Amino acid sequence: MHDTTSPQRARRRGGARGRELAPLALTGLRALLGDERRDPQLQGRDRLIEHLHVIQDAQGHLAMAELRALASYMNLPMAAIFETATFYAHFDVVHEDQSPPPAVTVRVCDSLPCRLAGAEALHERLASGADPAAVRVLRAPCMGRCDSAPVAEVGHHHVRYATAEGVEAVVDTGHVHPETILWQRLDDYRAVGGYRLLAACRAGEVGFAALCEAFEHAGLRGLGGAGFPIFRKWQAVRAEPGPRFAVINADEGEPGTFKDRHYLEHAPHRFLEGALVGAWAVEAEALYIYLRDEYPGLHRVLTEAIVELEAEGLVPPGYIVLRRGAGAYICGEESALIESLEGKPGKPRHRPPFVAQRGLFGRPTLVNNVETVYWVPRIWEQGADWFAAQGRHGRQGLRSFSVSGRVARPGVHLAPAGITLAELLEEYCGGMAEGHRPAGYLPGGASGGILPASKADIPLDFDTLQEHGCFIGSAAIIVLSDQDDLRTVATNLLAFFADESCGQCTPCRVGTEKMLALLERDEWDVEQLERLARVMGDASICGLGQAAPNPVTSLLRDFRGELEARHLIAKG
Amino acid sequence: MSDSSSNDSFTLTLDGAEVSARPGETLWQVARRAGETIPHLCFKDAPGYRSDGNCRACMVEIEGERVLAASCIREAAPGMVVKSAGSERAREAREGVMELLLADQPEREASPDRSSHLWAIADRLAIDAGAVRRRLPSRAEREAPTVRHVAARSAALPHADGHDATHSAMNVNLDACIECGLCVRACREVQGNDVIGLAHRGAAAKIVFDFDDPMGESTCVACGECVQACPTGALMPATLIDEAGRGDSAVADRTVDSICPYCGVGCQLTYHVKDEQILFVEGRNGPSNQGRLCVKGRFGFDYPNHPARLTRPLIRREGVPKGMDPGFDPANP
Repeated sequence: MHDTTSPQRARRRGGARGRELAPLALTGLRALLGDERRDPQLQGRDRLIEHLHVIQDAQGHLAMAELRALASYMNLPMAAIFETATFYAHFDVVHEDQSPPPAVTVRVCDSLPCRLAGAEALHERLASGADPAAVRVLRAPCMGRCDSAPVAEVGHHHVRYATAEGVEAVVDTGHVHPETILWQRLDDYRAVGGYRLLAACRAGEVGFAALCEAFEHAGLRGLGGAGFPIFRKWQAVRAEPGPRFAVINADEGEPGTFKDRHYLEHAPHRFLEGALVGAWAVEAEALYIYLRDEYPGLHRVLTEAIVELEAEGLVPPGYIVLRRGAGAYICGEESALIESLEGKPGKPRHRPPFVAQRGLFGRPTLVNNVETVYWVPRIWEQGADWFAAQGRHGRQGLRSFSVSGRVARPGVHLAPAGITLAELLEEYCGGMAEGHRPAGYLPGGASGGILPASKADIPLDFDTLQEHGCFIGSAAIIVLSDQDDLRTVATNLLAFFADESCGQCTPCRVGTEKMLALLERDEWDVEQLERLARVMGDASICGLGQAAPNPVTSLLRDFRGELEARHLIAKG
Repeated sequence: MSDSSSNDSFTLTLDGAEVSARPGETLWQVARRAGETIPHLCFKDAPGYRSDGNCRACMVEIEGERVLAASCIREAAPGMVVKSAGSERAREAREGVMELLLADQPEREASPDRSSHLWAIADRLAIDAGAVRRRLPSRAEREAPTVRHVAARSAALPHADGHDATHSAMNVNLDACIECGLCVRACREVQGNDVIGLAHRGAAAKIVFDFDDPMGESTCVACGECVQACPTGALMPATLIDEAGRGDSAVADRTVDSICPYCGVGCQLTYHVKDEQILFVEGRNGPSNQGRLCVKGRFGFDYPNHPARLTRPLIRREGVPKGMDPGFDPANP
């Protein structure tokens, strides 16, 4: 160092640090999103994901200049915008050193039912045949159309029973818009008695106590997977001081589940009536519907149905808020969903406090699954006695089983709670698919574990599968046959969990990846797998990480013979 | 905690012994008062730091609950029966979590901070990182990306692969990062600067500055709070990092508690000194700064040994040495 007091070179001082705002980009954003200076509500943090969707839909990706402008537009730090934008799979954040994606995106469903139906080969053929400058081919998680596997999505258009030729034809014709859905309009629903329960509630003809009593008697439980009695949820939220919110979880993403899509497509108004009754029951300030982005056709349906309701004066304008997910399975977890509604990455919250105490915007919140509220007007109409009288093997009520895999007739089958797989196959699914013999089944999607074919005679319902190390969850039954490779099943499921882990807690973020790597090895290290499964199950924050090892523990418990025959584990 | 609530103290059971707690106290704090420091990584026991419960190194078993709970974030409740040191499940979970984190850490000798809090916890739990690496697959074992929607960045970037030396005062090495989010809370909540974020998800989760920009080109104001909060050395004072990226936060000969010499706020700090040179500075919990510092107090410490520093009184008189810059020409200033 020289003995000097003068600086050796001029230092950069006082200039703006970091990325600078491009004024033109901000002007462009205002043209797209509206002028936030006139409507400050557009700056609400909870609008962030909606804004990102608008930009992504308009530009095909999210460029740095737009994101920087969005930070100014919303008065949010760049880091906050970036965290949310990069969390969700349906946003393409493009840096200066990266190229924007091509105009057409083909997503090939990679969930287990599609995989069993040949999605891997389909993906390979599409990827090798496509011109990378014009089309990109991606793997994507469950698209909720498992009864027509394999499924691919071109833009927003879903191709069922997809073949490489079929998908290429759709790409060539440029048919990228969601398929049209024929649905029951408001007039038709009202003609058959629709919205009578809601009117009766609002008119004071049906009281809150009577409603709770009826649904306690009917035994209606949360059908998103947890099975919590609906009336108790209503009571818990209502007991909290207002203002309160109601939220509908329409983010069904559990691989193999498509019952909510089924009900939303067939009876959107019956669903909306049930949702509004729930919102009435807890005196909610607003009703939010969080719809997964894999159901773009339903977004149109619900948007129009809400317009119908507002036009008829059945709900005040803006009371029902429809929000789009953005490609994140974890947002089906209710507190992650709430984070996402607030415009943040979908990372589950710690309990306590429960969302019934502190949910959306920190207020007591009722979160119900689509199918649960769908049943509210229907059970009221047909009577709690009728619903309670359903069921088999000592169980009560009806369950909508989403059946996929190696069965003759996959689909949503409404069957008595407590039905066994053998009965379900025989009475509803037309037996196994031709040439397949049952080897096992997943009773609750990717998370619910795997049962062997020898346990096809146990009642399927909440509470009945715990002793077998499984759970029914959203009642997504995926049937495996003797032709299915168990390593493929295990790695497929763990790859899904690792891809969809929010990354918040160590056991899930690192554990899912390590477990996947262990399963990809030629021989399975049983001791390591079991220890890792215990750590993940015991120490993960939410159900994703806790349930992610279930397929592996199931296989190690009930399929040892098959694993030995496959030389995955040592004999003994 | 308000004084009024201390009247409502209650009792619970911790490892078989009855202990008292105040409303709002976490199980970690209760255990600490009872003499047990439960292992912790993402939790920093300092003013302004909210517990986040994400690292899962502090798990305890609560009677009647299906899964374990993070003691740093779970509040004590009357009558709770908690097992910490006495729980086999909690022990396995704590060790299991540490193993998952150590499996992808740089070797201790090569790490950016061989004396980090993470390594101290590993020592405490007697975990042999080498043995862990032999048992658990490394991240590199998987060829395909685990999180699929993250597009790769250019290897030519100055912060490629999470190695970022673009800031003159701080060094980033995300190989050592455990995504505990302490730096995010430090930047966002403790200092209110909002530059650091935790982007992406799952195994791709990554600490970023602004839009994943190089730290030196970001809006960072160099308060250094993140460096002080980081439990692994992924964020380190640049003065402690050698050319190979190795470092050691415990290398100082001695520490000197002092007051920041710059403005009048009176922030308390600690100088870490080696060979009579200041190596780096830590904020100390004083009434005006609560452990926080700004760029000047944190990184403006090169002047004590600067050769141009005036170390003796001078007077403007003929024939008396002034220590003037020899290159200075009074005729042409």
